[in-house]
Amino acid sequence: MPAPARTLDTSGRLCPFPIVETAKAVRSLDEGAVLLVISTDAGIATDMPMWCKATRNEHLGTFREGSAWKSFVRKRAR
Amino acid sequence: MQKQGKAIAMISGGLDSTLALALVRRQGIEVKAVNFYTGFCITETQRRKGGRADGSVPRNEALRAAADLEVDIEYVDISGSEYLDMLVHPKYGYGANANPCVDCRVFMMRKAKAIMEAEGADFIFTGEVLGQRPKSQRRDTLRIIERDSGLDGRLLRPLSAKLLPPTIPEQTGIVDRELLEAISGRSRQRQMELAKELGVVDWPQPAGGCCYLTDESFAKKFFDVLDTREAAGEERRIVPEDVVLLSTGRHFRISPRAKLIVGRSEVENALLEHHVPGRARLEAKDVLGPIALVEGEPTWEERMLAARIVARYGKGKDAPKVAVEWREGELVETYEVEPERDEARVEALRI
Repeated sequence: MPAPARTLDTSGRLCPFPIVETAKAVRSLDEGAVLLVISTDAGIATDMPMWCKATRNEHLGTFREGSAWKSFVRKRAR
Repeated sequence: MQKQGKAIAMISGGLDSTLALALVRRQGIEVKAVNFYTGFCITETQRRKGGRADGSVPRNEALRAAADLEVDIEYVDISGSEYLDMLVHPKYGYGANANPCVDCRVFMMRKAKAIMEAEGADFIFTGEVLGQRPKSQRRDTLRIIERDSGLDGRLLRPLSAKLLPPTIPEQTGIVDRELLEAISGRSRQRQMELAKELGVVDWPQPAGGCCYLTDESFAKKFFDVLDTREAAGEERRIVPEDVVLLSTGRHFRISPRAKLIVGRSEVENALLEHHVPGRARLEAKDVLGPIALVEGEPTWEERMLAARIVARYGKGKDAPKVAVEWREGELVETYEVEPERDEARVEALRI
């Protein structure tokens, strides 16, 4: 995975807040930059690909690591 | 397709709002979807508790609908005190349970109006269907919602548009009224046909019934909190912590002074552990059993009753005696109690 420009740790937050916080974080990123979202809510695995498709950002992948999930998102170029 | 304007869609991800979204999108109108987080969504709560009883984890349907139609979506958290105050003092009253649907819609529409203005959008639309719901989707209440939210003429219901007065975007030609629908009532036949026509293939089953406030047993617990506070001379109000606890565990009104909440699963037990401060925490000591919380100031007899009910829901329910630990701040005591065996009594205390 590409090196993230920013890492957002949403551990302990329940859905839909990891996505709410992702949306805010992506807004402040440069186009093409990568955001790494860490979540302890399993919902991220289904929510993140759908959110990326809806908002036309690129979902690079979501992986489980122990009790958390790591999700990589590239901000779309407008 | 030529872009003709911009709209804000209020979507739940159910069939109706997905169809409304597809109807407006096919007219080449730029759409931004919003989904409101109230804290009372049953599906959301099921997701938080690890899924349904059959092991499946429900999808976030609003996200799914937005993804299918490639529409930008924003979550708006309205679960704070302003929303909770509205629930306790609804101008237009409650439906069959604790559901002030008209006030809730007005509340959401006002938030959506602010988003519409910030986004420079022309109008708002929803999946509401005339006559589909007994309280919030009657002709008169649809009008009240539009008027009270300050959205006069800018609130479009694409599924019933031809049965309602033309809105501003229809009058100005941003929206072609002829391409909208004239659906009314509870039958979903036309929606099913429309789904085929619009290529909408995926929606949640069954539709509706997603809000705890429309649930009879939840409503009893909701009003119990309000009534108990009022009887104790406090303000009738609901706080965010109440919302979490009202959808967690079995609730027993031990007395006007005390309420018992007993976890029903490991996830609920873990959730209750986060709400111990200010309450007593009960758990059977030597046998497996639920975590329970007691709110209020129980008498000695009421403490024993709470402990007996906690013992009844654990593995020691058939034992002659069960040791139940009572922790309350610095105080830790153990009560040897006989599990409550009078089912009728237990049920009578259930809220």
